[in-house]
Amino acid sequence: MKRLLVTLASVVLGIAVVVGIGLVASVSGAEPDAIVAKQVGTKSTPKGELPHYEVHLDVYPNSSAAVPPPSAGTPINAELLSGQPFYKPSTSIQVPANSVVTIHFTQYDSGGQIYNPYFAKVHGSMDGTMTWNGKQVSEIKSSEVGHTFTVHQFPESTQPYLFLSVPLPMNPANAKTDSNGYPVDPQKISVTFITGEAGTYVWNCEFPCGDMYQEFGGPMQQRGWMAGTFEVVA
Amino acid sequence: MTTATSTLEASSSTVFGVEVPQPPQHGKPGGIMRHLNFGTGLLTGIVFAVAAGWITSALSSSSATNDTFAPTEPEYIYLAGLIGWVIGFMLGMGAFVGPLRWVTGRDLTHADAEYMAGKDLGIRRYFKFTTDHKVVGIQYLVVVLGILGLGGLLAMLIRTELGATWTEVFSPTFYNTIIGTHGIAMVIGMIVVMSGPVGNFIVPMMIGARDMAFPRLNALSLWLLVAAVVCLISSMFVGGIQDGWSVYYPLAAQAPPGMLGYQLTIIVFAVSTGIASVNLMTTILTMRAKGMTWSRTPILVFGVFAASLMGLYAFPFYQYSQILALTDRIWDTVFFNPVQGGSVWLYENLFWLLGHPEVYVILIPSMAVALEIMPVFLRRPLFSFNFAVAGIVGVVALSGLVWAHHMYMTGWAPAVNYPFMLSTEMISIPVGFLVLVAIGTFWRATVWTRLPLMAIYAVVFNKMIGGVTGVYLSDVPADQYFHGSMFVVAHFHYMLMGAGLFGAMGGIAFYFPKMTGRILDERIGSIGLWTAFAGFQITFGSMFVAGLQGQPRRVLQFDDMFNISNWISTIGAYVIGIGMLIFLAAIIYSWRSGEVASSNPWGSKSLEWQTPTPVPLENFAVLPVVTERPYNYGVPDPYEAELEAEDGDRTSDDRERAGVS
Ligand code: HEM
Ligand SMILES: [Cu+2]
Ligand SMILES: [Cu+2]
Repeated sequence: MKRLLVTLASVVLGIAVVVGIGLVASVSGAEPDAIVAKQVGTKSTPKGELPHYEVHLDVYPNSSAAVPPPSAGTPINAELLSGQPFYKPSTSIQVPANSVVTIHFTQYDSGGQIYNPYFAKVHGSMDGTMTWNGKQVSEIKSSEVGHTFTVHQFPESTQPYLFLSVPLPMNPANAKTDSNGYPVDPQKISVTFITGEAGTYVWNCEFPCGDMYQEFGGPMQQRGWMAGTFEVVA
Repeated sequence: MTTATSTLEASSSTVFGVEVPQPPQHGKPGGIMRHLNFGTGLLTGIVFAVAAGWITSALSSSSATNDTFAPTEPEYIYLAGLIGWVIGFMLGMGAFVGPLRWVTGRDLTHADAEYMAGKDLGIRRYFKFTTDHKVVGIQYLVVVLGILGLGGLLAMLIRTELGATWTEVFSPTFYNTIIGTHGIAMVIGMIVVMSGPVGNFIVPMMIGARDMAFPRLNALSLWLLVAAVVCLISSMFVGGIQDGWSVYYPLAAQAPPGMLGYQLTIIVFAVSTGIASVNLMTTILTMRAKGMTWSRTPILVFGVFAASLMGLYAFPFYQYSQILALTDRIWDTVFFNPVQGGSVWLYENLFWLLGHPEVYVILIPSMAVALEIMPVFLRRPLFSFNFAVAGIVGVVALSGLVWAHHMYMTGWAPAVNYPFMLSTEMISIPVGFLVLVAIGTFWRATVWTRLPLMAIYAVVFNKMIGGVTGVYLSDVPADQYFHGSMFVVAHFHYMLMGAGLFGAMGGIAFYFPKMTGRILDERIGSIGLWTAFAGFQITFGSMFVAGLQGQPRRVLQFDDMFNISNWISTIGAYVIGIGMLIFLAAIIYSWRSGEVASSNPWGSKSLEWQTPTPVPLENFAVLPVVTERPYNYGVPDPYEAELEAEDGDRTSDDRERAGVS
């Protein structure tokens, strides 16, 4: 009888510990709330007249009194990531399937040379270009990149094709800044592309803007900062 | 009233009938050791860690740099804290008391040494820097169960994530962290699971010695392990180990500060294993009982010796790799950082120079314990003692020549691969010897199936699957397909867990009566064992399928085509988890209120079972003399002996006739 009780207690306690720790880890590492694209009308495309949606994303060089940092899971992790760049308001992005989507970026960060010039070009937009401060361009100087927004597919054979990569130009070092240290006249970029069938993708920044070796550490690996999910929903 | 001078007079004391001159006794035996224990260790460790971190932060904030390439301030603080922890903890445990007293000319007396061995300390001796090998053995057992428990917990979380194919349970960074931490925790746990508890508790008795050759080093190795494990756990709170247990460059250089926790863990753990290895080897070489020639030495002793020897030559490579990685990270040296001219291949070579011998450090003691258990329950000698020894010697000889089979796909000159393919396929021959000896011993034997032997059935089966799949992986063309897939993961789990851990479970069940004075409950124990075994086949059998389909390892998201094998694998893992918890319950229950064991419940002939239970402080009042080979069991039919035992009224004469004295 005692034997049975000890056994039951061990199993139940063991499961409770696993579930407890799993829950804490799952909740503290949860994705930021998704930004959902808003419909702004329709747009004619080679595929016919499609609904047109918009998303706004801001890129900050660091947090400040005006712009709090994204969640980092734990206080220690927040300390480790303090002073690092991030996307706002969220890195979880949700857009509808079979639609035209325009993403408007406001880029406040500085930048420099990107290792792979491929990512200084626009890939996957409707006409192969983006709008940069009112001009149509298909690439920028590889030595003047601030960040990129690059959507990758999972290695899934069943996933509909989607590839989008947008370079976000840097602000010059002598740009006039406001009291929080952000440029008063940031870089404004918009890119328009067409989504296919529903699917879940990941995206990240390809410009080494993090810390540690080759500056590919820290926020570069952190959801909510320089990486996120991109969901196309039916 | 005694004067101060008279208490400090040199004296002598009688040790086993011999007058030994003693240094003067200062104060009560034990001195400062009387006030030190695990609690003071924890306290000093934390105080030192906080102090070191605080000083570092005060010093570094003045010279803060804006260079993002360089490590950040928390990096230095964490490193200083870790070093402070290790030093403070060891200090607070009393690890430095002996050396300090020696350099100050106040060497320990015999009475001090007896205090340190835990004489008359009761339960308290388990929480101190105790030198008695039996106490160290028990401490190792508890620590190892903790480490394996941590690894198991993380395994459950990994499988939960992989099984929940429709959602992301954990963030990718946390998922990477649990993969790396599970891997290294399990590896550390499995390296010590046999050499720690059984090597320390049983081996000295098995060779007829009164303690280990270096009792204080013995305690040192244990508490260094504890210090190291705390570094490992702490890493999970500062970004974790995100690059797998092998932490290749340059990923390791980009990782968060948790990587420092990994590096410190390995550096300290390597010291711990080095000390433990030297100690075990010296003990085995010099302290065997009179008459215990090599051919009369039990096979487990060979196994533990071999594991120590391999650990001793292999661990330094790993330790250097992590020391160099640490300097790369903190002081910007360029041993491994590729863009500055370092070599990632150098890292990989250093890593696998330990990485492969380590699997034999894990496997050989488990195989040896299997071969030790079999003759007792089959009541017959080993099929071939000499072949078993030759197998162990062969594995040791080749163990250092196979490491680069992990690097076939790294893109170096392909011709380099073939010598390693050859050596790897060659090493399966001595490993095969061990399996063949096991099978030969089973051949037409009358088996007396008790819990320890059941574990050995599991070992033989799993080892076979692991061995067969390993041959494919060692083959360069086949490995091009398998490399980096779940097939690899399934293969090494068959080896490390299927053979290693199940063997260790058998070893624990076998020696439990000697270590705790009680029989490990066979009902719960065997339910746990077989549940875990069944779950194991489901988990890793299905993982072979996922691997053959092409699922990559260490990857959080995968194609839908792998869903079914992952669901099955996850269900199997939960079954393992429940089985292991049941086995753990058997340990907990039996330790507290199990059936009281006689001093030799299995009727074994080896020396460790000839001591009384509980084993007295010095093991043997009179040192034994060995006159025959270890496994000369004469009784053909163990059932008869068991039936007799059930009669209840068997006399010592009956027992003698049955050969189970
Ligand atoms: C309940 C039992 C266990 C389960 C369910 C389990 C499961 C897993 C899984 C799913 C992985 C990750 C595979 C991947 O995606 O790469 C893994 C990795 C690993 N496991 Fe286990 N495991 C168990 C026990 C053990 C044991 C006893 C050892 C003994 C040494 C061990 C050693 C390792 C190692 C070294 C890795 C590699 C980590 C890395 O890729 O860096 N595991 N395990
Ligand atoms: Cu970036
Ligand atoms: Cu290997």
